[in-house]
Amino acid sequence: MNMLIYGFITGILFGFLLQKGRVLRYDKQIGALLLQDMTIVKFMFSSIMVAMVGIYILKDMGMVKLDLKPTILGANILGSIIFGLGWGMLGYCPGTQIGALGEGRWDALWGIGGMIVGAALHAEAYPYLKGTVMTWGNYGKITLPDILDVSHWVVIPVFIIFGLIVFLICERKGL
Amino acid sequence: MRSNKDSGWSPYLAGSLTGLVAILSVWIGDKFYGVSTTFSRVAGMIEKYFTPERFTSIEYFTRVAPKIDWQFMFVIGIFLGALISSITSKSFKWVSVPDRWRSRFGSSIIKRAFFAFIGGAVAMFGARLADG
Repeated sequence: MNMLIYGFITGILFGFLLQKGRVLRYDKQIGALLLQDMTIVKFMFSSIMVAMVGIYILKDMGMVKLDLKPTILGANILGSIIFGLGWGMLGYCPGTQIGALGEGRWDALWGIGGMIVGAALHAEAYPYLKGTVMTWGNYGKITLPDILDVSHWVVIPVFIIFGLIVFLICERKGL
Repeated sequence: MRSNKDSGWSPYLAGSLTGLVAILSVWIGDKFYGVSTTFSRVAGMIEKYFTPERFTSIEYFTRVAPKIDWQFMFVIGIFLGALISSITSKSFKWVSVPDRWRSRFGSSIIKRAFFAFIGGAVAMFGARLADG
Protein backbone atom coordinates (compact mmCIF):
# COMPACT_ATOMS: atom_id res chain seq x y z
CA MET A 1 0.00 0.00 0.00
CA ASN A 2 2.82 2.41 0.86
CA MET A 3 4.38 1.83 -2.56
CA LEU A 4 1.14 2.84 -4.26
CA ILE A 5 1.04 6.08 -2.28
CA TYR A 6 4.72 6.79 -3.08
CA GLY A 7 4.01 6.20 -6.76
CA PHE A 8 0.99 8.50 -6.65
CA ILE A 9 2.86 11.34 -4.91
CA THR A 10 5.92 10.98 -7.17
CA GLY A 11 3.64 11.07 -10.21
CA ILE A 12 1.86 14.22 -8.99
CA LEU A 13 5.20 16.00 -8.50
CA PHE A 14 6.45 14.81 -11.89
CA GLY A 15 3.26 15.86 -13.69
CA PHE A 16 3.28 19.22 -11.89
CA LEU A 17 6.87 19.92 -13.00
CA LEU A 18 6.27 18.69 -16.56
CA GLN A 19 3.40 21.15 -16.81
CA LYS A 20 5.46 23.99 -15.28
CA GLY A 21 8.24 23.28 -17.78
CA ARG A 22 5.68 23.49 -20.62
CA VAL A 23 6.91 20.25 -22.14
CA LEU A 24 3.52 18.52 -22.39
CA ARG A 25 2.55 20.12 -25.67
CA TYR A 26 2.42 18.70 -29.15
CA ASP A 27 4.03 21.87 -30.53
CA LYS A 28 6.96 21.54 -28.10
CA GLN A 29 7.48 17.83 -28.83
CA ILE A 30 7.41 18.27 -32.61
CA GLY A 31 9.60 21.37 -32.19
CA ALA A 32 12.20 19.24 -30.40
CA LEU A 33 12.08 16.52 -33.06
CA LEU A 34 12.65 19.18 -35.74
CA LEU A 35 15.45 20.78 -33.64
CA GLN A 36 13.52 24.06 -33.67
CA ASP A 37 12.51 24.32 -30.00
CA MET A 38 14.84 22.73 -27.48
CA THR A 39 12.67 23.25 -24.37
CA ILE A 40 12.26 19.49 -23.94
CA VAL A 41 15.96 18.82 -24.44
CA LYS A 42 16.81 21.43 -21.78
CA PHE A 43 14.28 19.86 -19.40
CA MET A 44 15.45 16.28 -19.98
CA PHE A 45 19.17 17.02 -19.79
CA SER A 46 18.72 19.11 -16.61
CA SER A 47 16.79 16.28 -15.04
CA ILE A 48 19.34 13.60 -16.03
CA MET A 49 22.32 15.71 -14.95
CA VAL A 50 20.88 16.26 -11.46
CA ALA A 51 19.52 12.73 -11.02
CA MET A 52 22.69 10.93 -12.16
CA VAL A 53 24.83 12.75 -9.57
CA GLY A 54 22.40 12.16 -6.70
CA ILE A 55 21.67 8.54 -7.54
CA TYR A 56 25.36 7.63 -7.94
CA ILE A 57 26.20 9.33 -4.63
CA LEU A 58 23.50 7.24 -2.95
CA LYS A 59 24.81 4.15 -4.76
CA ASP A 60 28.35 4.79 -3.56
CA MET A 61 26.98 5.10 -0.02
CA GLY A 62 25.32 1.72 -0.49
CA MET A 63 21.86 3.20 -0.02
CA VAL A 64 20.37 2.38 -3.43
CA LYS A 65 20.81 -0.18 -6.20
CA LEU A 66 20.63 0.59 -9.90
CA ASP A 67 17.74 -1.02 -11.78
CA LEU A 68 19.40 -1.79 -15.13
CA LYS A 69 17.61 -3.00 -18.23
CA PRO A 70 19.60 -5.36 -20.44
CA THR A 71 21.30 -3.87 -23.49
CA ILE A 72 20.02 -5.85 -26.49
CA LEU A 73 21.11 -4.03 -29.64
CA GLY A 74 18.49 -5.62 -31.91
CA ALA A 75 15.55 -4.85 -29.64
CA ASN A 76 16.88 -1.46 -28.50
CA ILE A 77 17.71 -0.11 -31.96
CA LEU A 78 14.71 -1.50 -33.82
CA GLY A 79 12.38 -0.62 -30.95
CA SER A 80 13.65 2.94 -30.72
CA ILE A 81 13.29 3.52 -34.47
CA ILE A 82 9.69 2.25 -34.33
CA PHE A 83 9.07 4.37 -31.23
CA GLY A 84 10.42 7.45 -32.99
CA LEU A 85 8.14 6.94 -36.00
CA GLY A 86 5.10 6.75 -33.73
CA TRP A 87 6.25 9.65 -31.55
CA GLY A 88 6.53 11.87 -34.62
CA MET A 89 3.00 10.96 -35.72
CA LEU A 90 1.42 11.36 -32.28
CA GLY A 91 3.51 14.25 -30.96
CA TYR A 92 3.38 12.95 -27.38
CA CYS A 93 5.40 10.30 -25.59
CA PRO A 94 3.79 7.79 -23.19
CA GLY A 95 4.22 9.91 -20.05
CA THR A 96 3.66 13.34 -21.53
CA GLN A 97 0.36 12.45 -23.15
CA ILE A 98 -1.02 11.60 -19.69
CA GLY A 99 0.08 15.03 -18.51
CA ALA A 100 -1.18 16.66 -21.72
CA LEU A 101 -4.63 15.25 -20.95
CA GLY A 102 -4.39 16.78 -17.45
CA GLU A 103 -3.70 20.14 -19.12
CA GLY A 104 -6.84 19.85 -21.25
CA ARG A 105 -5.21 18.62 -24.46
CA TRP A 106 -7.70 15.89 -25.04
CA ASP A 107 -6.28 14.76 -28.38
CA ALA A 108 -3.94 12.83 -26.05
CA LEU A 109 -6.85 10.41 -25.55
CA TRP A 110 -6.34 9.05 -29.07
CA GLY A 111 -2.70 8.43 -28.29
CA ILE A 112 -3.55 6.70 -25.01
CA GLY A 113 -6.01 4.40 -26.81
CA GLY A 114 -3.48 3.69 -29.54
CA MET A 115 -0.82 2.91 -26.96
CA ILE A 116 -2.99 0.36 -25.18
CA VAL A 117 -3.52 -1.32 -28.57
CA GLY A 118 0.22 -1.10 -29.30
CA ALA A 119 1.01 -2.73 -25.95
CA ALA A 120 -1.50 -5.52 -26.71
CA LEU A 121 0.08 -6.09 -30.14
CA HIS A 122 3.50 -6.26 -28.51
CA ALA A 123 2.22 -8.90 -26.06
CA GLU A 124 0.89 -10.89 -29.05
CA ALA A 125 4.19 -10.60 -30.91
CA TYR A 126 6.32 -11.32 -27.84
CA PRO A 127 6.89 -15.05 -28.50
CA TYR A 128 8.30 -14.21 -31.97
CA LEU A 129 10.29 -11.21 -30.79
CA LYS A 130 11.81 -13.27 -27.97
CA GLY A 131 13.31 -15.74 -30.42
CA THR A 132 14.54 -13.17 -32.95
CA VAL A 133 15.30 -9.46 -32.39
CA MET A 134 15.55 -9.94 -28.62
CA THR A 135 18.52 -12.27 -29.11
CA TRP A 136 20.49 -10.02 -31.48
CA GLY A 137 23.44 -8.39 -29.72
CA ASN A 138 22.50 -9.15 -26.12
CA TYR A 139 25.14 -7.62 -23.84
CA GLY A 140 23.19 -8.04 -20.61
CA LYS A 141 22.97 -5.44 -17.85
CA ILE A 142 25.87 -3.12 -18.65
CA THR A 143 26.62 0.56 -18.05
CA LEU A 144 28.89 3.04 -19.84
CA PRO A 145 31.44 3.00 -16.97
CA ASP A 146 31.52 -0.84 -17.27
CA ILE A 147 32.22 -0.78 -21.02
CA LEU A 148 34.84 1.97 -20.75
CA ASP A 149 36.27 0.37 -17.60
CA VAL A 150 36.43 3.71 -15.79
CA SER A 151 34.85 5.08 -12.62
CA HIS A 152 31.34 6.53 -13.02
CA TRP A 153 32.88 9.76 -11.64
CA VAL A 154 34.70 10.05 -14.98
CA VAL A 155 31.61 9.47 -17.12
CA ILE A 156 29.32 11.76 -15.10
CA PRO A 157 31.41 14.98 -15.39
CA VAL A 158 31.93 14.32 -19.12
CA PHE A 159 28.17 13.97 -19.58
CA ILE A 160 27.54 17.14 -17.57
CA ILE A 161 30.08 19.12 -19.63
CA PHE A 162 28.46 17.78 -22.81
CA GLY A 163 25.04 18.84 -21.49
CA LEU A 164 26.26 22.32 -20.60
CA ILE A 165 27.71 22.74 -24.10
CA VAL A 166 24.35 21.72 -25.57
CA PHE A 167 22.64 24.31 -23.33
CA LEU A 168 25.11 26.98 -24.42
CA ILE A 169 24.49 26.24 -28.11
CA CYS A 170 20.70 26.27 -27.57
CA GLU A 171 20.85 29.66 -25.80
CA ARG A 172 23.22 31.17 -28.38
CA LYS A 173 20.93 30.12 -31.20
CA GLY A 174 17.81 31.12 -29.29
CA LEU A 175 16.25 27.67 -29.51
CA MET B 1 2.40 30.28 -26.78
CA ARG B 2 -0.16 33.04 -27.01
CA SER B 3 1.29 35.38 -24.40
CA ASN B 4 4.28 35.73 -22.14
CA LYS B 5 2.05 34.93 -19.19
CA ASP B 6 1.92 31.34 -20.38
CA SER B 7 5.67 30.81 -20.37
CA GLY B 8 5.73 28.75 -17.18
CA TRP B 9 9.01 28.03 -15.38
CA SER B 10 12.46 27.79 -16.90
CA PRO B 11 12.89 24.27 -18.32
CA TYR B 12 16.27 24.16 -16.53
CA LEU B 13 14.57 24.77 -13.17
CA ALA B 14 11.61 22.44 -13.75
CA GLY B 15 13.94 19.76 -15.18
CA SER B 16 16.40 20.00 -12.29
CA LEU B 17 13.58 19.73 -9.73
CA THR B 18 12.33 16.67 -11.64
CA GLY B 19 15.82 15.21 -11.19
CA LEU B 20 15.62 15.86 -7.42
CA VAL B 21 12.23 14.14 -7.27
CA ALA B 22 13.76 11.19 -9.15
CA ILE B 23 16.58 10.95 -6.56
CA LEU B 24 14.08 11.02 -3.68
CA SER B 25 11.97 8.40 -5.43
CA VAL B 26 14.93 6.04 -5.78
CA TRP B 27 16.07 6.75 -2.22
CA ILE B 28 12.75 6.47 -0.41
CA GLY B 29 10.85 4.05 -2.60
CA ASP B 30 13.63 2.30 -4.56
CA LYS B 31 11.69 3.17 -7.73
CA PHE B 32 12.90 4.65 -11.02
CA TYR B 33 10.60 6.65 -13.33
CA GLY B 34 8.80 4.63 -15.98
CA VAL B 35 5.49 4.69 -17.81
CA SER B 36 5.27 2.22 -20.67
CA THR B 37 4.99 -1.00 -18.61
CA THR B 38 1.69 0.35 -17.31
CA PHE B 39 0.27 0.28 -20.86
CA SER B 40 1.09 -3.43 -21.07
CA ARG B 41 -0.61 -3.98 -17.69
CA VAL B 42 -3.71 -2.04 -18.79
CA ALA B 43 -3.86 -4.01 -22.07
CA GLY B 44 -3.71 -7.16 -19.93
CA MET B 45 -6.50 -5.93 -17.64
CA ILE B 46 -8.76 -5.23 -20.62
CA GLU B 47 -8.07 -8.62 -22.23
CA LYS B 48 -8.52 -10.41 -18.90
CA TYR B 49 -11.95 -8.79 -18.53
CA PHE B 50 -13.28 -9.14 -22.08
CA THR B 51 -11.44 -12.18 -23.47
CA PRO B 52 -10.27 -14.20 -20.44
CA GLU B 53 -9.43 -17.29 -22.51
CA ARG B 54 -7.30 -15.36 -24.92
CA PHE B 55 -5.67 -13.57 -21.98
CA THR B 56 -4.47 -16.79 -20.35
CA SER B 57 -2.91 -17.93 -23.64
CA ILE B 58 -0.62 -14.90 -23.85
CA GLU B 59 2.74 -15.62 -22.27
CA TYR B 60 3.72 -11.97 -21.88
CA PHE B 61 0.96 -11.33 -19.34
CA THR B 62 2.53 -13.86 -16.99
CA ARG B 63 5.75 -11.80 -17.11
CA VAL B 64 4.01 -8.42 -16.94
CA ALA B 65 0.87 -9.17 -14.93
CA PRO B 66 -2.21 -6.92 -15.03
CA LYS B 67 -1.99 -5.34 -11.58
CA ILE B 68 -2.02 -1.92 -9.99
CA ASP B 69 1.51 -1.20 -8.84
CA TRP B 70 3.82 1.74 -8.06
CA GLN B 71 4.12 2.73 -11.72
CA PHE B 72 0.37 2.57 -12.34
CA MET B 73 -0.16 5.08 -9.54
CA PHE B 74 2.78 7.15 -10.85
CA VAL B 75 0.99 7.44 -14.20
CA ILE B 76 -2.31 8.48 -12.55
CA GLY B 77 -0.30 11.00 -10.53
CA ILE B 78 1.17 12.59 -13.68
CA PHE B 79 -2.37 13.34 -14.86
CA LEU B 80 -3.36 14.89 -11.53
CA GLY B 81 -0.10 16.86 -11.17
CA ALA B 82 -0.49 18.41 -14.61
CA LEU B 83 -4.15 19.17 -13.86
CA ILE B 84 -3.28 20.90 -10.55
CA SER B 85 -0.43 22.88 -12.10
CA SER B 86 -2.42 24.04 -15.13
CA ILE B 87 -5.56 24.99 -13.21
CA THR B 88 -3.71 26.90 -10.49
CA SER B 89 -1.69 28.81 -13.11
CA LYS B 90 -4.68 29.37 -15.41
CA SER B 91 -2.91 27.58 -18.27
CA PHE B 92 -5.43 24.74 -18.50
CA LYS B 93 -6.92 24.79 -21.97
CA TRP B 94 -9.18 22.38 -23.88
CA VAL B 95 -7.38 21.54 -27.12
CA SER B 96 -8.76 19.09 -29.68
CA VAL B 97 -6.24 19.77 -32.45
CA PRO B 98 -2.81 21.26 -31.56
CA ASP B 99 -1.90 24.60 -33.20
CA ARG B 100 1.03 23.24 -35.14
CA TRP B 101 -0.95 20.25 -36.42
CA ARG B 102 -3.79 22.58 -37.45
CA SER B 103 -1.54 24.87 -39.46
CA ARG B 104 -0.02 21.90 -41.31
CA PHE B 105 -2.86 19.36 -41.59
CA GLY B 106 -6.04 21.35 -40.96
CA SER B 107 -8.57 21.40 -38.14
CA SER B 108 -10.24 18.01 -38.66
CA ILE B 109 -10.55 16.22 -35.31
CA ILE B 110 -11.03 12.88 -37.10
CA LYS B 111 -7.81 13.25 -39.07
CA ARG B 112 -5.89 14.16 -35.91
CA ALA B 113 -7.51 11.25 -34.04
CA PHE B 114 -6.62 8.76 -36.77
CA PHE B 115 -2.94 9.64 -36.95
CA ALA B 116 -2.57 10.10 -33.20
CA PHE B 117 -4.10 6.66 -32.59
CA ILE B 118 -1.88 4.92 -35.15
CA GLY B 119 1.13 6.90 -33.92
CA GLY B 120 0.39 5.85 -30.35
CA ALA B 121 0.11 2.17 -31.31
CA VAL B 122 3.37 2.28 -33.28
CA ALA B 123 5.20 4.23 -30.55
CA MET B 124 4.15 1.85 -27.80
CA PHE B 125 5.03 -1.27 -29.79
CA GLY B 126 8.51 0.19 -30.26
CA ALA B 127 8.83 1.30 -26.64
CA ARG B 128 7.91 -2.16 -25.34
CA LEU B 129 10.24 -3.87 -27.81
CA ALA B 130 13.13 -1.61 -26.75
CA ASP B 131 12.06 -2.18 -23.12
CA GLY B 132 12.26 1.54 -22.46
